[in-house]
Amino acid sequence: MTTLSRRALLGMAGLSAAAGIGIPLGRGLAAPTSTGQLLRSRAPRPPLFQRRLTVPPVLRPTRSAGDTDHYEIVQTAVRAEILPGLTTELWTYNGSFPGPTIHSTRGRTVRIRHVNRLPVPTVVHLHGGRTPAADDGYPIDFVHPLDMAQHVGHHMGGDVSHGERTYTYPLDQRAATLWYHDHRMDFTGPSVWRGLAGFHLHHDDEEAALGLPAGVPLMIADRSFDRDGSLLYPARAGGHGVTGDYVAGVLGDVMLVNGVPWPTHPVGRGTYRFRLLNAANARRLSVRLDPPPPTGLVRIGTDGGLLAAPIRHDHLELAPAQRFDILVDFSAYAPGTVVTMVNDFDIGAMGQIMRFVVGDERLAPFAVPDRLSTVTPPRASDAVVTRRFDFRTGEIAGHDGWLVGQQPFHPDVIAAHVKLGTVEIWQLNADFHHPVHLHLSPFQVLGRGSGGPGPYDAGWQDTIDLRPGEQAKILVHFDGYPGKYVFHCHNLEHEDMAMMANFVAT
Amino acid sequence: MTPRTWPAGLFRLTTTVAAVLACNQAVFAGQFLSGTYVALRLHRDGSTYTVAAVASTVLAAVLWRRLGRGPAWPIPATMALVALTAVQTFLGYRLVLAVHIPLGVTVIMLLIALTVAGWRRGPVRSASVRGLIASGRERGR
Repeated sequence: MTTLSRRALLGMAGLSAAAGIGIPLGRGLAAPTSTGQLLRSRAPRPPLFQRRLTVPPVLRPTRSAGDTDHYEIVQTAVRAEILPGLTTELWTYNGSFPGPTIHSTRGRTVRIRHVNRLPVPTVVHLHGGRTPAADDGYPIDFVHPLDMAQHVGHHMGGDVSHGERTYTYPLDQRAATLWYHDHRMDFTGPSVWRGLAGFHLHHDDEEAALGLPAGVPLMIADRSFDRDGSLLYPARAGGHGVTGDYVAGVLGDVMLVNGVPWPTHPVGRGTYRFRLLNAANARRLSVRLDPPPPTGLVRIGTDGGLLAAPIRHDHLELAPAQRFDILVDFSAYAPGTVVTMVNDFDIGAMGQIMRFVVGDERLAPFAVPDRLSTVTPPRASDAVVTRRFDFRTGEIAGHDGWLVGQQPFHPDVIAAHVKLGTVEIWQLNADFHHPVHLHLSPFQVLGRGSGGPGPYDAGWQDTIDLRPGEQAKILVHFDGYPGKYVFHCHNLEHEDMAMMANFVAT
Repeated sequence: MTPRTWPAGLFRLTTTVAAVLACNQAVFAGQFLSGTYVALRLHRDGSTYTVAAVASTVLAAVLWRRLGRGPAWPIPATMALVALTAVQTFLGYRLVLAVHIPLGVTVIMLLIALTVAGWRRGPVRSASVRGLIASGRERGR
C-alpha cells in the first residue's frame, strides 16, 4: 500500500465517519419545544385573522334552590363550520366548542346533570376543582350513552351510569380559572380533541373586591383536519392510544382560539382580563403580544387562582392544561393598531395565535392593584414525607407507552396513600415534556433541578410544566375529601397510554 | 500461504462502522434527552445495529488473524466489546442510567481506540495495543 493511497483512504474513512456522526448530530440540534409529532391536515389551511373571535355562551342555571345552582348539559355531536366551506363533526357540551362557560361562586354548590347523547361513554372532570372523589370524574366512572346500555367496558369496577349523571361540586375553594373536560380512561385524547372541553370560572369575595375588568376566556388549542373537514386523529385501530410516533403526542397544524382558527378580536383602549387556557393535547405555547404593550402581560392568576401580587412578563409559557389569568392594557396603542398574539414555540402559521384590533373607544382606566390576594403557602419544613415519581417512556404489553414510577395506570394500583391535612414533597422526574397534573390538591413549586422555581411557577398550581430531563420538587397540600384520585401527565396521548397513577386520601 | 491484505481492510471497515454507530448512540441519546421522541426509537434501533456491527468486528478479527497474519489481541478485544455492548443494551432497556451512561462513554472510547489501532497498523503480528501503537509511531518516523 503506498503512502498516498493509505492517506487518501484514511481521509475518506475519516470524512465518512465525520459525516456519519455529524449529519444526525446536526439534524437534531434544535431541541423541540413540545413532545409530540405533527399531524398534517389534508384540508387547505384556513386564512389567518379573517374570522371574529367568538366567546362561548354562559350557561344559566335551570334552577337555584337554597345554596345550590342546578345546571344541565347535553353531550351531543354537532356539525360546525370551522374551516371555510367545510363542516366538522364535533363532540360537544350543549352543542358548542368550547362548551358553555359555567360561572360559580364560593359558598354555592353547583350540580350539573350531564346527559350523554354521544356514541361513546364519557367521564366529566372539573379540572382544578376541589371535588369529592365520587364526582371527580374518575377515569372508569363511565356515563354510557343510553343506546349503549349493553356496552361492556374493558375496565369494569367503576361507578358506571347509563344515559346521564349528575355531578355535584361543593367548590369550597379560591376563585380560579377552572375547566371541565372528558377524562375517560384510555380515550381522553380523542374525546378532548373532538371538542369535549369548556371553561368553569369560579369566583369569590376576594376576587370581586378587586373590581377586575370583565374577563374574556381564551381556549387555545391546535387541531388537524381531513380533506372533508372532519377532525383527523391518529387513533390506533381497534384499541386505545395512537399509532407510531404519535405516542409522543399529537400536534395539530391549525390554531384555534375558542374554536375559531386564528381569530381577530376588536378591543377598546383600556385594560382587558384574559383567561388563557392551553387546551392542546400536547402542544406547549410561548405567548407574546407583538407589538408588546408597554406594561407587559400582567399575570394575576394561575391554575389555583389569584397570585398574591401581579407579575409582569414579556411572554408566558403554557403547557397543556395550564391556565394564566392576565391583564393587558391596550390604552397605549394608537387606534387601528393590530396586535398579534404570537407563539414563539413555533414558526409560520403555528407561530401565530390570534389578533387584536385596537379601536377608538376609551375604557375607564384600571389601575392594577399591588396586592391581589392572600396566599399562605405551606412551608417545606412541614412536609411529612418526600415521594419520588419518575414520568418516563416504557413498554406496555408490547407497545410503546408511558409510565409513572415504572407502572402503567391501573385503577387498582395505588401509588401513594396520603393523609388529608398534611403537606408532602413530591419529586417529579421527567424524560420528555410532561405537564403533570394532580387532582384534588393544589401545590406550590419548590424548585427545578438544583435551582429555585421557574418564572411561571409562582402561586398555586395544579399542573406543572416538566421539561425533558427535568427534576422538580413540589409541595402538595392534601386537603379536601377522602377517596381515590388520579395524578397524571396532561399530554393527553401520554395519559391515554397509561401515564397516570392513583393516590388515596384518608 | 502468503498473508492476505483484505482481512486487515475488513477489520478497519467493521471497526469504523461500529465506532460511528456507537458515536451516533450518544448523538441520539442527547437528542431524546432534549426532548426529541423519535430519537429514542433511533437510539433503541441503533443499539441493535451497534451490537451487530461490534459482532462483525469479531469475525473480521478472526479473519485478519487466520488469513492476514494479523495480531491475536483483536480477537479477545472484540469479543469483550461484544459482551460490553450487550450489557450496555440490557442496562439501557432497564434504565440503569447510572451505569448505562458511563459504560456507554467507555464503549465509545474503546471502539475508537480499536478503530485507530486497526488503521495505524498494517497486516502484521503484534503482541499488544501498546506495542502496536508504539511500532506504528516508529514506522511513522
